[in-house]
Amino acid sequence: MATALPSLESYAEQKRVSQPTLARWLAWAESDQRALLGLAHALQLGENQVRDFLDWLEEIVLRDGGSIAAILQRPEIRRPLQQRQSRNDKLKAVKAALRTLRYPRLARLERELHSGVTALALGRQVRLAFPPAFEGDEVTLEVRVKSAEELEAVLSRLRQRLTDGSFQRLFKLLDEA
Amino acid sequence: MHHYQPHEILIERGEEHAPVVRRTLQGLPHVPVRSVDTPPRTAADGPPDPFAAGKKSLVFTRNRARFLEHCPAGTPGLVCCNYLVVSLISNCPMDCSYCFLQDYLANNPLLTVYTNVNDMLDEVAAAVDRQPWKQFRIGTGELSDSLALDPLLGFSADLVPFFAQRKNVVLELKTKTDCVDGLLGLDHNGRTVVSWTITPPEIAEAEEHGTASFADRLEAGRRAQRAGYRLGFHFDPLIEYPDWQAGYRQTIDRLFSAIDPQGVAWLSLGSLRLTPALRATMRRRFPQTRLLSGEQVRCADGKWRTFQPLRVTMYRTLSRWLRHAAPSVPVYMCMETAPVWEKVFGRAPGCDRDVARALLSPSAPAIDAPGRLW
Repeated sequence: MATALPSLESYAEQKRVSQPTLARWLAWAESDQRALLGLAHALQLGENQVRDFLDWLEEIVLRDGGSIAAILQRPEIRRPLQQRQSRNDKLKAVKAALRTLRYPRLARLERELHSGVTALALGRQVRLAFPPAFEGDEVTLEVRVKSAEELEAVLSRLRQRLTDGSFQRLFKLLDEA
Repeated sequence: MHHYQPHEILIERGEEHAPVVRRTLQGLPHVPVRSVDTPPRTAADGPPDPFAAGKKSLVFTRNRARFLEHCPAGTPGLVCCNYLVVSLISNCPMDCSYCFLQDYLANNPLLTVYTNVNDMLDEVAAAVDRQPWKQFRIGTGELSDSLALDPLLGFSADLVPFFAQRKNVVLELKTKTDCVDGLLGLDHNGRTVVSWTITPPEIAEAEEHGTASFADRLEAGRRAQRAGYRLGFHFDPLIEYPDWQAGYRQTIDRLFSAIDPQGVAWLSLGSLRLTPALRATMRRRFPQTRLLSGEQVRCADGKWRTFQPLRVTMYRTLSRWLRHAAPSVPVYMCMETAPVWEKVFGRAPGCDRDVARALLSPSAPAIDAPGRLW
């Protein structure tokens, strides 16, 4: 059975949401206020999380138009809430979906790089890391081996990926967006 | 654009007869004037927006600190162009949503004019005359717009002839206004560059409050160019928004259909960069700004910029268009790392003097293309 939503003010008090954050939230249209309250209540968002949601939602609406309530009704935001998983996992999934809406090109680049790395099939002994938020141009390659034979096998795979252009494609992705 | 009218003028006692004060009072005969022993730091009617309130008080005082400083873009890790700044004015009558002064002058927002212009000129003379072999670029547009108050203060009549007499220094007057009347009759001897911040007209209108329109900036540029001044154009901040390609393409086309590229000294590119405090201030003062909706991330220097692969795409695109429109004009980047220079131009300068040399000497090797190396 669905629990009744508290008022925004009582939720803010219960979660110790600061006055400036509450004031921003209350400045929204009522339908938008309620939409975020529903989500906040379901995920038990505190001050920092609420502020992130306020920032991202306002920024998306300023850029793309539409309403906050409409964004929060999108299937990719609603779906995690209906799944049987922990509150933390739901929060992670909702935030990831909202982040994709807020940073579409950054998210697309992350997806493409992830697919690119998977396609390299370098095995569990090799870890490839990109600079945080792609700010910088160095890729870190970490190799863990227990013997010279293992190292030889890893190096051979790496050499092959260089020869067939897979690494070049990966670096090209990092170069422009 | 709207010409500045302060609500009050505050004059530090003893400075009433400074030439700049006398000129200003003649131009603003109806504005209340008060003498003060020590100028206040904030406006009496500060809250709820002390920064906006501060702009309405015009303060005249002596500067007791150094005038000549290195540009703050010389931050470790970033490629620097060896630019020096002098500040005769602190704060700006205009109100761009992205302006760093909102953060930088948050505790000291009164629009302040320094009366001891000759001290500033003496300081510059001492620095540049001591090293006649070295070339300097000095700008006045760091803590204010170089020309927004010129119709009132007339500083250009003090500065331009002074720099005209020196062979090893160029003055840059950086502006978002059309206030060039005071420059047109001056003997500049090619030692002053007048430069404009350029953003697509729709961005200028939405975000650069109180500035001249793009069309008026172009017209002012044409007039300055006809008076023999070399010009500069700064695509800084470079704004990422949904239609940035069309917006900047049309802007560059319009710019170079109005301005002769032969008379352009330099062009610069610099991504929008915001400190966390400035982002918070923008959110509060300009809740409708769209500049926070770009895909910005926090960089190593703590500032938020468009994430690097997208930023590099923008730089490459604009530098290609600029090189096509103005092939002989050097293009440089402001506040960027050496790796970004390498990605955009194929190579980073060996040292900051390389950038400065390329901007000041037409015979110096170029900085903005791999085939045009120094």
